[in-house]
Amino acid sequence: MRTFRLIGQFMRASFQEEAASRTNFFVNLLHSILNLGTGVLGVVVLFGQIDEVQGWNLASTLALLGVYLIVSALRGLFIGPGLDALAGMDGKIWSGTFDFTILRPLNTQFLVSVHKWRLFAILDLGLGLGVLGAAVARLGVSLSAGQVVAFLLALFAGVLTLYAILLAFAALVFWSPGVLFTWVFDAFFQMARYPVGMYPGWLRLVLTWVIPVGIITTVPAQALSGSLTPGMLFGGLGLAALLVVGASLLFRRGLRRYASASS
Amino acid sequence: MKTRAGWALIRGLWLSWLQYRSFFFLLAFGWMIPPLIYLLVWSTAAGEGTIGGLSRGAFVAYYLVLILVNQVTYSQTNWTVGDLIRYGQMNRVLLRPLPPVYDALASEFAGKVVFLAFDLPVVALLALILRPELEWTWANGLAFLPALVLAWGLRFLWGYWLALLAFWATRADALLALQDALVFLLAGQVAPVALLPGFLQTLAKILPFRYMVAFPVEILTGQLDLAGMQTGFAFQAGWLSVAAGLYLLLWRAGLRRYTAVGG
Amino acid sequence: MPEPQIQIHNLTKTYRVPVRPEGLRASLGSLFRPAYNDVEAVVDVSFDVAAGARVGLIGPNGAGKTTTLKVLSGLLHPTSGQVRVAGFLPWERQPEYLRRISMVMGNKSQMLWDIPPLDSFRVLGEVYGVPPARFRRTLDELVALLDMEELLTKPVRNLSLGERMKCELTASLLYRPQVLFLDEPTLGLDVSMQLRLRRFLKEYNQHSGVTVLLTSHYMADVLALCPRVVLIHRGRVLYDGELNELARQLAPFKQLRLSLQVEKCNGAMPIPDGVEVIEQDRASLTLRVPRAEAPALTARLLQTLPVADLTIEDPPIEAVIDQIYSGAGA
Repeated sequence: MRTFRLIGQFMRASFQEEAASRTNFFVNLLHSILNLGTGVLGVVVLFGQIDEVQGWNLASTLALLGVYLIVSALRGLFIGPGLDALAGMDGKIWSGTFDFTILRPLNTQFLVSVHKWRLFAILDLGLGLGVLGAAVARLGVSLSAGQVVAFLLALFAGVLTLYAILLAFAALVFWSPGVLFTWVFDAFFQMARYPVGMYPGWLRLVLTWVIPVGIITTVPAQALSGSLTPGMLFGGLGLAALLVVGASLLFRRGLRRYASASS
Repeated sequence: MKTRAGWALIRGLWLSWLQYRSFFFLLAFGWMIPPLIYLLVWSTAAGEGTIGGLSRGAFVAYYLVLILVNQVTYSQTNWTVGDLIRYGQMNRVLLRPLPPVYDALASEFAGKVVFLAFDLPVVALLALILRPELEWTWANGLAFLPALVLAWGLRFLWGYWLALLAFWATRADALLALQDALVFLLAGQVAPVALLPGFLQTLAKILPFRYMVAFPVEILTGQLDLAGMQTGFAFQAGWLSVAAGLYLLLWRAGLRRYTAVGG
Repeated sequence: MPEPQIQIHNLTKTYRVPVRPEGLRASLGSLFRPAYNDVEAVVDVSFDVAAGARVGLIGPNGAGKTTTLKVLSGLLHPTSGQVRVAGFLPWERQPEYLRRISMVMGNKSQMLWDIPPLDSFRVLGEVYGVPPARFRRTLDELVALLDMEELLTKPVRNLSLGERMKCELTASLLYRPQVLFLDEPTLGLDVSMQLRLRRFLKEYNQHSGVTVLLTSHYMADVLALCPRVVLIHRGRVLYDGELNELARQLAPFKQLRLSLQVEKCNGAMPIPDGVEVIEQDRASLTLRVPRAEAPALTARLLQTLPVADLTIEDPPIEAVIDQIYSGAGA
């Protein structure tokens, strides 16, 4: 109960901060629309030339793009803003205000993950859902209840995986506070816009098992198009759990290493 | 005297950037990823056949050249100029005995060297793995160089005049994001211009964005005949003079406004 | 006798610091072979603090004051030694411990920049799990003590440095901690704001019984607030005790101030050996004499000079400290 009240307070304060600069609203709106437009046009241009690539057609690839937009929006909503605030030259660790985060009588990982929200991302979430809905309608199949459950489970595993990777990358900041490690991740995450099957074999393996951004979007999209095997679904869930545990351990090690910027 | 001062500026920038070396390699890495994604997607889509006359190897060659051209012509400086104006640090720059555009040029040049030091080895490695097919002709090679220089000049000045709008509007950087999105769509990144659907293709050939990146790439990879090159150069030169005119106009008007308001 | 609230025994903290060379080539080299130095920030420091006390940690820049505070608050893991605060090991950072302590840093802010302090306070109240009624009561009390009613609804970015420090103090006392660590709380504040904060801290300490451990560059802070000081220099404790006693122990001098009867001055002023003249004009003399010989020398001076008035005092604390900072351990 207290956790929810706490998160409510964080959301409230974040929203007030966001609302403090009103021009940003239109800039954010522009960015959201550009992101949506380039994503959709990229897929449309590709399938204007060809009907099918490696078993993916326009509708299923658009569904995957929808999942990508939804997952990115969730990240932008609360995981991203908090974790991104740690790194970089003006980040909390470099400037030493992370001291205050550590001194709070709460689990530091929890605090870091949920203390900052970007409510504007709800619009992105809506756009993502819109793309997903349109794509499913185009797919022209009626989804069984089992498929919907599988999709939701796969999406949950995807979001957990994303969280774990972001947390692990953020933890690296304790070793090198100036480096924006999440940028490396962002670059790889871009690849999740397309199905892993569209990449050459070696990269497919990397994107599935090493930096598993591929399965964050590919597995849920497969659940919708009906090409997902149960093994892949449970493998994905297991991997997500493993990653969360591993990332938490890394974060805790990083915390132990943390020594404030000034002596 | 000017060259010595310029060299000192460049050296100073390199020295301070070494502190942030990881930051710059990350930037270069991040910029490389979107074209790389489309390289992989299109070459997978082409498979053993051709799309719009381009084989798998031709797509690889096209996108590898595009990665380099994109890097050479991308002006990270334009974001900085806007920030300088926004945060009222223009005074410091105006007090120097060199026009501010020298600052921008110095950081452009210093930046290109740093970024290419990262990009060239990576592209060479990718070429070894992905086996591009490029038919080299001296005529294309010779035409490529002026097209590249003009493309850089156009992209630099176009971004610079957009950045100068910061004298009047606080969030003019949103326009730079819009420019990036249009370059992504219309300058051959999402697909070679020849593969864009009819309406987008016409738009791409008329607007300046193709001439910032795609045009030199198309020349080098032999996609253009003589007539295509001639029209291209005409458009490129035309847009470059428009950009230069707008830059001069806005710089003078902006400076007058800046000194009148007092920063 | 109750156990001291803060116990520090043989605390040592060593940092590993990367060496950054100068020049383009050397910085390129350090990319591949980073060099490190070990820096001893605190060496073998021991002292106790009783509950409700006000203690000042003093010493020049880089003496190890902040490091000590950071170990006590649980931000740093000590290299060796035992530390207990309120019965807890600080670096385990148990929630019950963190609710009992608070840290104010003069150079870092815990306030949210773009929104009014009141909203930051609400978030903190929730973070520390303060029940709403108690939150309201504590806040009202602090706001009245610090006289900051009108600051509560302005965005923090529009507040002055001193106003921001009031907010920092309120934020750190909202949950009624038992121990308050203050690291340079008056940094950059003007004199009247410094006075105001000192008065507040003293009053708050007296009526709430919070233990205060403070570091400061300004001797005036320490003079006004701390009956007891711990002097740290180059990571070691040089002195621990009453502030007045510090001067006696560390400065083996007394200061004599003589007013002379001008009309009886005949020009010659015989000054005995072992006496140093600090200031001299026609009608007065300021002298520094060894502490042990002060009575004898004073008697001699009274005989040889036309003295109208005489005071014997300890040298000003700033002068003593300055002497220690520049001389000790060099």
